[in-house]
Formats: sequence, C-alpha cells, structure tokens
Amino acid sequence: MIFQSFKMAWKSISANKPRAFLTMLGIIIGVMSLVVLVSLVTSATNSVTDQIASMGTDMLTVSVMDDKGNPLKQGDLSEIAQDDSIALIAPVSQASGTVKSGTETVSVSIEGTTGAYFQIQGDELASGRLLKTADVENISYVAVLSNEAAVEIYGDANATGRTLTMSGRKYLVVGVLAEDDSMMASFSQNYTVYVPYTVTERLSSAASGVSSFYVAATDAEYIDRAEATVEQALLSRFKNDEDAFFIFNQDTLAETMSSVTNTFSLLLGGIAAISLLVGGIGIMNIMLVSVTERTREIGIRKAIGANKRVILSQFLIEALTICLIGCAIGIALSGLILAVVNLFASDTLTFSFSGSVIIVAVLFSTFIGVAFGIYPARKAAGMHPIDALRYE
Amino acid sequence: MIDLCDISKIYRVGDEEIHALDRVSMTVAEGEFVGITGPSGSGKSTMMHIIGCLDTADYGTYRLDGQPVEHRSEGDLAVIRNRKIGFIFQSFNLISRMTLEENVELPLIYQGVSPHVRRERVGAALERVGLSNRRKHTPNSISGGQQQRAAIARALVTEPALILADEPTGNLDSKTGESILELFRELNASGKTIVLITHDNHIAGETGRTIRIMDGRIEGTG
Ligand SMILES: Nc1ncnc2c1ncn2[C@@H]1O[C@H](COP(=O)(O)OP(=O)(O)OP(=O)(O)O)[C@@H](O)[C@H]1O
Ligand SMILES: [Mg+2]
Repeated sequence: MIFQSFKMAWKSISANKPRAFLTMLGIIIGVMSLVVLVSLVTSATNSVTDQIASMGTDMLTVSVMDDKGNPLKQGDLSEIAQDDSIALIAPVSQASGTVKSGTETVSVSIEGTTGAYFQIQGDELASGRLLKTADVENISYVAVLSNEAAVEIYGDANATGRTLTMSGRKYLVVGVLAEDDSMMASFSQNYTVYVPYTVTERLSSAASGVSSFYVAATDAEYIDRAEATVEQALLSRFKNDEDAFFIFNQDTLAETMSSVTNTFSLLLGGIAAISLLVGGIGIMNIMLVSVTERTREIGIRKAIGANKRVILSQFLIEALTICLIGCAIGIALSGLILAVVNLFASDTLTFSFSGSVIIVAVLFSTFIGVAFGIYPARKAAGMHPIDALRYE
Repeated sequence: MIDLCDISKIYRVGDEEIHALDRVSMTVAEGEFVGITGPSGSGKSTMMHIIGCLDTADYGTYRLDGQPVEHRSEGDLAVIRNRKIGFIFQSFNLISRMTLEENVELPLIYQGVSPHVRRERVGAALERVGLSNRRKHTPNSISGGQQQRAAIARALVTEPALILADEPTGNLDSKTGESILELFRELNASGKTIVLITHDNHIAGETGRTIRIMDGRIEGTG
C-alpha cells in the first residue's frame, strides 16, 4: 500500500516536471547549504583537533608569571618529575636573536631547554645529536637547529659540525632536526635555535629561574593527574596564589576549539534550516494549488470509495516525495561541491560529508514535507464529494 | 434494495430555500432496471447522490439493502460506495493523467485487493466493455463512447450490486448512446440493479420502470 502510494505520488509529480523541479529547488538549496556548510566546518574542525591531538594530548605547558622572589630551579622540576604520572619535564626560556649568514642576518627564536624537550615534542633528528645533560650542566655553547633554520642560515640542512654566531657569541651546531610537515608547522616559519637552558639563563639579564616548562604525562590518560600534581607543587611553592602561574593543557585547547566550532556549525546549520523552512512554504503553496486544480479528481476518488485517510495520505505522501527527492538531489549536489572544494583545498585538509548532518537533512526534509504538506492534504481530504465533483 | 422514505434535501442560497427533494418516497427492488426522468433542476441528480451515499438527506430515512444509511460515518459511507455501488456520470469522470487500466484499477486499490488479483479483474472488466486493446491509453486519446465504456468498466470492476448512472448518454450521439444502453441491458440481465437518469424519453422507455420527478416530487411511475 505504501509503495502504491509513492508510485501514485510519483505519477502526479511527474505529470508536471518543471513545476515539481521549481518546487523542489527551495528544498535542494536548503539541503545543499545545510550539508555543505556543516560538512565544511566539521571537516575543518576535525582536522584542526587532529593536529592538536598529534601535538600531544599528554602534554602540559606551564608558565610562571610571578615567582614571588623565589624562582623555580631545574632541581625543583626534577622533584616534580618524581610523580608517577609525569614522564618528562623540560624547562624552556624563549628569546630572540639574530644570526649572521654571509652578509645577511637571520632573525631566529632561541629556545633554552634540555634534551627532554625534544622527547616531549616528539622531534626527530635529521643529523647529529640532541642536547645532552652534560651540555646543560657544563653550560656549553652548543646549538640544535630546526630544519628551516639550518636551510635559511647555511643554504642546506647539513649544518652539523659548523659554527654559528648568534647575538655575538659562537656556538657549535651539534644537530639538525628533521622537517616538520604538520599543518601547524606550515602556518609559520620556524627558525628556531635550541641551546642548553643554562646558556640562556646566563645570558639573560633578567632574574634567573625557570619561567616556563613543558610536562609530558606518562600516558594521555594520566594527564589530569599530572596537571593536579604540577598545580599542587606550584601552589605550595607560590603561597597558594593561583594567579602566580598558568597551566595550559592541550586537551583543554582541543575541547575549547571543538565547542567553539560546534557553536559555529549550529549557527550555520540554523541559517540553512531557515532556508529549508522557506522551501517548505513553497511546497505548501504548490500543494494548495495542486489540491484546487485536482478538486474534481478528489471528487472522483471519493465517489469510487476513497475515504478521508486515503486522500490525506495521498497528498501528504506527494509533499513528502517532493521533499525527499529534493533532499536527495541536494545531498548529491553537496557531494559534488565538496569534491570541487577538495580540488582547491590544501593537502592537509580534506572535506568530507558529515554523516550526522545527512541524517539531520533527511529528517528535517521529512519533517518539512509533513509539516507543510498536512494543511493542503487536510483541505483535500475534507472536501465534500458532491462539491468536488461539481467543481469545474 | 433501495428504500427511500420521505426524503427531503434543502439547499439554502442566501435567504432562499430550495427544496431540491421534497418528501420523496420510493423503492427499487433487487434486479430492477429503473429510469428516472424529469426536467432540468427537478432533483434527479440530488436523488441519485443520496441513493449513492455521496450526500445525505436532511429529512427522511434511507435504507440500502435494509440497512439505514443515516448517521453513518464518512468512512463507512466510503466503504459502501466502494463495495456496493458503481457510479457512471454524464461527463465520464475519468482521471485524465492515468491510463484506462489505472483508472479501472483505482476502486480495487481502495478495497485493498492484491496486485495480482487486480490485474486479472481489471483485464476482465475492460474485456467486458470491449476496451482490451485500449488499456494503456489515456482518456483524452479515445472517443467519448470509449471513455464512457471505461467508466462503466471502473463501475463494474468491484462487482457492485447497484449501478447508478446519471445521464450516461447525455454527451454521446444516439448511436453510441444506444450501444451504451445495450451494455446496461446486459448488466441488468446478469442480475445488477440499475438506476439510470435520463432526459431522453426514448431511453426511458427502454427501462423496466420509469419514475418521473418534477420540482423535487415524484409525479408518477409508469
Ligand atoms: N449545491 C447546491 N446548492 C444550491 N442549490 C443546489 C445545489 N445543488 C443542487 N441545487 C438545486 O437543487 C435543484 C435540483 O438539482 P439537481 O442537480 O438534482 O437537478 P437535476 O434534475 O439533476 O437537473 P439536470 O437535469 O439539469 O441535471 C436545482 O434547483 C438546483 O439548483
Ligand atoms: Mg443532474
């Protein structure tokens, strides 16, 4: 019976194809904007949160804003690292400097740290070695270069064993890092020179002490415990002043990020839903016209035994069929649009259908078909058979 | 089969009351072939609509097969129309975007008959009215006489006991009309009760009994 009804509905829709298509257009455009917009946002979000996750959800970044005249030392960090939840801790002090390269100077960022830093970041070597404990303890003037920095300064990445003059001091280049091909890296140039933490401490004019450090948890699931441990240690160190330091959790960033983009896709989806609603009004309009045009047909059907329910479902299913065909065309066109967008988008970003938005689109189209089809259908079903048969 | 008792139907147009039917009583026995004649506006169609359960009377009682029809729900009336009655109209009333086959199939769909049985019965009905070779045609690609035959096939396909025809030959030339009338005679011979409305005195003379209506009242039978 249901199949029969859809067949009948298809028959009356296809009796006037241009009109049916124009009616569907509202739904097609609505579904298309819904699916494309939400898929774009979701895909972009997924790829960004993936990148954040790949930077390590087992990592904390801690900044000390106010050391209360009692700066943290490397020893204090080792003490915090005693906790089971913490695998590694690396102090970082950031500065900037200039490196002479032939006649040109290159601006670089200088990171004073320890060997643990590279482990936390998951950086790989292209050649040479990383910073060693001995370098830090002996305050050796040695440097590890990021791949881009080596290429910029020396013209190629084979810099191990060469010397580097940075801000008036000579360093021995002991290692060069492998290229970083993540998306985050492509956002900025990464001319970084890594030197032992103690070297930057000595050179810095400001008060010594660790002002920021990285913490890696033993496992991603211990990250909250690691955060609590660090927080506890710093609170007791800095007289219970919560504002003296700031712990930055990658996980929190990812969460904030996805909550922002969720709001964003809800907003876009909402706008698209409004255009679907407008499409629904178009369907109601055409269905009303169609009911009037087919008054006589309704009279005939009633005369030969169609009851109210049958007429109601006939017109309702017709509205529904228009909506669902429109929805299918809209989804197909969205796929086409996403494929075209992918042609032009960067390699690191692929836009694909968001499965949930397709379900939402189908459900919403169904809802619109029923909501806007019910009034014309009721009008048709409520007709008196004789009045309908007399209609010219 | 049909038992009308003091049936009145009153239309109100503005302040004016039109007594389309004024206390009409009549009976039609099973297997009868009854003609109804009368001038235009006398209430023939109104009576047929009431007999066919397309409309209800304002006063009086109507029993169909001994069952009172008043106070039945719209759904019940639809079932009665579907199973007991076959309608034939002056203007054929086929659905123009459907083929003859689909038109004839429609009452069976509403009855919930399975597709297989439907195909068989539609074929038989079209065969009976001599339109087997036109089953895939749409109404506007065939002649008026053929359209009326298709409408008769649609009325027959559910095997109703009662056939109601409102000026079935009104839009046809006399020769075609005669062949349609012949079809009705055959149906009557096979046991169907037929009520036929006509302006044509010649056709009225061909029926078993003629009822004459005037201004909503029965003038006489003969
Ligand atoms: N819906 C209606 N509203 C008002 N008056 C109506 C309505 N339907 C019928 N009438 C009136 O009822 C009377 C009987 O109409 P009916 O259609 O039964 O006549 P008829 O005998 O079938 O005429 P004809 O031979 O022309 O078909 C007429 O006076 C007509 O004007
Ligand atoms: Mg009439």
